[in-house]
Amino acid sequence: MSFRIGATVLIDHNGNAVQSYGFKKKRILGNVQKVLKFLDAYEVDEIHAIVPLKGEGDDKSSDIFSRLSEIPISTPLGIGGGITERNIGEITKDPFFERCIFNSAIFNNPELLQKAKSIMGHQSMVASVPFIVDDGLKIYHSKTNSFKTMKDELWKEIESNFNEVLLLDASAEGDKKEFNFEVFEYIKFPIDRVLISGGLTKFDINKAKKMGLAGVSIDNFALHSEYSIRALR
Amino acid sequence: MVNIIDVGLGNIRSIEHWLGRSNLLYKRVSDVSSITNDVIIIPGVASAGEYMRRLKERNLDKEIIVRSGQGQKIIGICLGFQILTEYSEEDGGTECLGILKGFTKYIDGYKTHNGWSAFDFDSRKLSKNLHFKKQRKKIVSGRVYFNHELEVELEGAHAAKLDNGITSFFIQDNIFGFQFHPEKSQNTGQELLELII
Repeated sequence: MSFRIGATVLIDHNGNAVQSYGFKKKRILGNVQKVLKFLDAYEVDEIHAIVPLKGEGDDKSSDIFSRLSEIPISTPLGIGGGITERNIGEITKDPFFERCIFNSAIFNNPELLQKAKSIMGHQSMVASVPFIVDDGLKIYHSKTNSFKTMKDELWKEIESNFNEVLLLDASAEGDKKEFNFEVFEYIKFPIDRVLISGGLTKFDINKAKKMGLAGVSIDNFALHSEYSIRALR
Repeated sequence: MVNIIDVGLGNIRSIEHWLGRSNLLYKRVSDVSSITNDVIIIPGVASAGEYMRRLKERNLDKEIIVRSGQGQKIIGICLGFQILTEYSEEDGGTECLGILKGFTKYIDGYKTHNGWSAFDFDSRKLSKNLHFKKQRKKIVSGRVYFNHELEVELEGAHAAKLDNGITSFFIQDNIFGFQFHPEKSQNTGQELLELII
């Protein structure tokens, strides 16, 4: 299967695309509609549109997704951030996307994952795994806004519930300081179903390709002219 | 007026955007009485068990079978293609529409197939198909997007495999099945739409 060059778009509560830096700072890139249309025109292989939440989410995700559904893009789209038992029925009632991206539910919400699978199919399930390597692998749990030590049992859950994993190097996010490939010493998931994101350089993208990963998801650099999507592919 | 089957599942909005970009008129149909005699699209992105349950609940399963037998054009996309077969292994085994002789099985070793493949289609190879005789455009070339864990196995049919070894599409008379997502295949998908509708 071809190596995929995807793009991550983070969306704030005002419907703006934002660039996040190491989970700390954020910069507004512009109206999300414009950004998605650019990415569509650049023919990225897929788009991951995520509403980043820290702590308890609110119900704004449904509104944001509802607005996204009006944007007529022809690029495969995954959405995530704030999908809960309360709003999953509404969000999946009229899907304009092909994939659902989950973070908090990975840890302790098998019911929600089961529901999503039965509606959208297992092929649509993507686990968002922001990580840091710090005395072992720690992965981000958005609901508690904290990094937790990764346990083997959790990999088993991820393997059974998800089609693919999107690994985000949280310490390199928004920067070009290189993706931390050390993470693969801890990954217990087939690497041909892993996409990586955060800190990616052209060297990293080539390395990911050689390793046989499913692909990469680049952030706002995808909108910069020095990155030719076709050349990266 | 293209009929998009709407049982509350599938990426219907993506299909609408696809049709809209080519200025085609469409409507959602969720019951037997609202189907017109134009093309019927069965969308993808759902699981077979739940999708078939909802089709049956609305008697749309029988209606689609009858209309396909009468020559009405049916376009099945991804799951919509898979349920045209007799049964699917998904959800512990699901009886499907049986419009196509064959079945749907998990890709060997429970593997998944996600991404893009090169696609070249020359409708002149299907010169007996009346639909293509009417079309000015004959060739579509580019790349198409896949996202699936099950694949269609057809018995001696005119199915085409791409370089990925997967039954990627099927066209015979009035039945069109696509394992990939033409509605999310950018320019290639758009060109394909204008050839098949």
